[in-house]
Amino acid sequence: MAALTGIIKGLIFALIGFIFGGGIGFLLINAAGRSGTNEPVIALGYLFALIGWLFGAGLWDAWGREWVGLPARKLEVNGWKRYFRFCTNHKVIGVQYLVTFVFLFLFAGLLAMLMRTELIAPGQTIMGPNTYNTTMSLHGIIMIAVAVATIMGAFANFFLPILIGAEDVAFPRVNALSFWLLPPVVILLLLTPLFGGFDTGWTAYPPLSVINATGSLFFLMAFITFGISSILGGLNFITTVITQRASGMTWGRLPIFAWGIFTASMISLTATSFVAVGLIQVVLDRVAGTSFFNASQGGNPLLYEHIFWFYSHPAVYIMILPGFGIILEVITHFSRKPLFAYKWVVGSFFFIVFLGFIVWAHHLNTSGMSDYLYIPFMVTTELISIPTGVVFLSALGTMWLGRLWLRPPMLFALGYLFNFLIGGVTGIFNADVPTDIHLHDTYFIVAHFHYTMMGGVIFALMAGIYYWFPKLTGRMYNETLAKVHFWWMFIMFNVTFIPMFWLGINGMNRRVFDYPEALGGVNMFVSIAAFLLGASFLVFLTNMVYSWLRGPVAEANPWRARTLEWQISSPPPEENFPEPPQVVGDPYGYGIPGSVHAVLNPAGSALNTGGG
Amino acid sequence: MSKQFFIVVILWIVLTAAGEALVIALTPFLLPSRAALEGQIVDDAFRTLMMLAVPVLAFVVAMLIYSVLRFRRRGEPTQDGPAMRSHGPFIAGWMLVSTALTIVMIVHPGITGMNALRAQAGKDVDLVVQVEGSRWNWKITYPQHKVISRTELVLPVDGHIRFEVSSTDVLHAFWIPSFRMKIDAVPGMMTTIYATPSKTGSFSSDHKIRLQCAEACGILHDKMMVPVRVLEQKEFETWLSQQVKVD
Ligand code: HEM
Ligand SMILES: [Cu+2]
Ligand SMILES: [Cu+2]
Repeated sequence: MAALTGIIKGLIFALIGFIFGGGIGFLLINAAGRSGTNEPVIALGYLFALIGWLFGAGLWDAWGREWVGLPARKLEVNGWKRYFRFCTNHKVIGVQYLVTFVFLFLFAGLLAMLMRTELIAPGQTIMGPNTYNTTMSLHGIIMIAVAVATIMGAFANFFLPILIGAEDVAFPRVNALSFWLLPPVVILLLLTPLFGGFDTGWTAYPPLSVINATGSLFFLMAFITFGISSILGGLNFITTVITQRASGMTWGRLPIFAWGIFTASMISLTATSFVAVGLIQVVLDRVAGTSFFNASQGGNPLLYEHIFWFYSHPAVYIMILPGFGIILEVITHFSRKPLFAYKWVVGSFFFIVFLGFIVWAHHLNTSGMSDYLYIPFMVTTELISIPTGVVFLSALGTMWLGRLWLRPPMLFALGYLFNFLIGGVTGIFNADVPTDIHLHDTYFIVAHFHYTMMGGVIFALMAGIYYWFPKLTGRMYNETLAKVHFWWMFIMFNVTFIPMFWLGINGMNRRVFDYPEALGGVNMFVSIAAFLLGASFLVFLTNMVYSWLRGPVAEANPWRARTLEWQISSPPPEENFPEPPQVVGDPYGYGIPGSVHAVLNPAGSALNTGGG
Repeated sequence: MSKQFFIVVILWIVLTAAGEALVIALTPFLLPSRAALEGQIVDDAFRTLMMLAVPVLAFVVAMLIYSVLRFRRRGEPTQDGPAMRSHGPFIAGWMLVSTALTIVMIVHPGITGMNALRAQAGKDVDLVVQVEGSRWNWKITYPQHKVISRTELVLPVDGHIRFEVSSTDVLHAFWIPSFRMKIDAVPGMMTTIYATPSKTGSFSSDHKIRLQCAEACGILHDKMMVPVRVLEQKEFETWLSQQVKVD
């Protein structure tokens, strides 16, 4: 029970908050003479419930007490219980994120199986259109959250401080806060089906998102809460990289994964508030009867599309940049060569951040915006191929003449390169306005973004999991199962999504519950392939659960990699490094005799970290 | 050029040739039947982009295949690779080629395609059709002829048509797959799109000749569709004359 006291307290406080906020909402409705809606009750109730939840779950004890001059209470417990508590240790938070999001990923994957079952044949198969739309939208938003937050939340939390030789992130309590904002997100999303579901997809375009069932309000509030968590995470990682680097860890020695996190965090910190504003305006239109997007009262639905994509295009780089980081990290260590064109890659990351902010209207190619906007946005969008190409340049250059070690992380990295190549090349067809007029909002887009998000981000996540599993858990996974997982997932992924390009070109629009009879055959093929793809994750899950509990004990450095996390025990000690390490050289000095990255106990003997 | 890189270049040439041959052979199957002049511009752009994409795909795949086969070690590598952090000519070549390709793509088929579409749109309009979306049906008005249709969209072949698209409730989108043309229906504003049907035909023989809503609009979004029928000019006039006139 001791493990759950924080959660129980949080739930009780949330209930009190809900009654308080809901009561205010109820009074407001009556005072304003409004009728026929209970959404103000829900919205204000949630606002206070959220605050109650956070304070109850630990924010008050760990932090709030200091605001009123009381000493903060130490909430730390030991052993497995700490994973259920408001814990400020970055490694605990990393594991909390990883486990939560792997489960969310599998859950949203199950939803995809339900969707493909419905789509296996024309007409209704297992569910009605409203259930389908809700399933589709839930799958979408959960997967977006998985893609945005898993690598950042899990691996940046666990490994970024270690990679830069720090003891923790800059703001440990903010870090815990960003994790504890997530349970309300999950609960809200799971509640949506009970309130009529929501049928807008994850993009929440008004006016539909203003007039549909109350489930939509739950989804909007979940998205906003998730956004707050994402902003706090970005702030924390930027500050951590700037202020917590060990002595000698110059910018030029920063591992590439740290650069990926740093640049992605710049986007989460600055862009997320835009989507939050857009979503809050939709909530206000629903709850308070404003008319930001209500055309009959002077509002403008097109405005929302601009605001939304002003965040959501950069957001795809919040997903992609950390993935680039993992892939390049894995490729250098498993090619046993220095990272090729390191400075070009870092420069490209920044260029991507910059360009990412000025391409948003490529999502509006059929929106009816001013005609002269199309070409400028096409130009900026296609320019992104140049810095993205640099990542491939670096990967290929690093492997060239290397000593390739095809362990599971490397296989996933190679799979990533292939999938992301297809994702990138098909992206050109969407950036090119003439072709996008036809392809926009069809299954071509669905295939394209699954190639980047599943073939890209999820493959990078898997590369990261198989790379860092021994360090995270102190145990090793089963190599054969891992390779089976890779080949099964890689092949079935391509078999599932390639035909969707054809479907889109041939007249299947997206977000549909049904389609013309003539497309039945290909859809059946896709559905069966999707089930087989889904089944590959059973191999993954079995391997992970079994190995975490029973796997052989892992060495400190099974890959003989040079970066700092591999120079300490598996799993790392509580304080990461017994004393602050002294960084003396580049992390990728493979092939350079005598090259040293860091000295772990500068005061004592020269226990250093060579090429191994 | 090192011998190893030379092999990659050969592999690249072979893969590119095979890829281009495949594109030429498969395009007719990939691109569905087309029933409007504007669709030609879209399909040409599509084909050009595929032709441009093939050498890029082929190069990366050639490098990947060669590196994995040639540089892999069975078991744990006992040595490190050479400490090569950079290679001036390779990086310079890569940056030049990728920048040049990007500029080519932007200009053609990007800007040229846009200009072709605009030129086509600028031609004299023979027929105006107003298309109004509401959940979950389309109302089609021929203002010049005072005719309204809710069950099908009938068009004359070779006529240059301006579609004036609007919505009464939420976002919808006007899409005729075989025309390759799409534009959103946005409440509070009118959007326009042009098409010149290039052959007769109808939904009953080809599902791509349909007016489909392509922007999520709720429960019956997928069913928000009306069949399209493209008729000879004469037949179209006959059809018009048979309709009830409204004012
Ligand atoms: C087993 C693997 C998967 C299958 C079979 C699958 C299938 C689907 C299908 C059928 C749709 C509906 C497309 C539409 O009508 O617009 C969809 C939407 C979507 N999927 Fe997946 N998916 C899978 C995995 C993933 C992954 C791993 C991600 C991201 C990390 C993802 C992200 C999305 C997103 C963002 C949407 C858009 C939802 C919307 O339109 O709002 N999916 N998926
Ligand atoms: Cu975008
Ligand atoms: Cu519609």
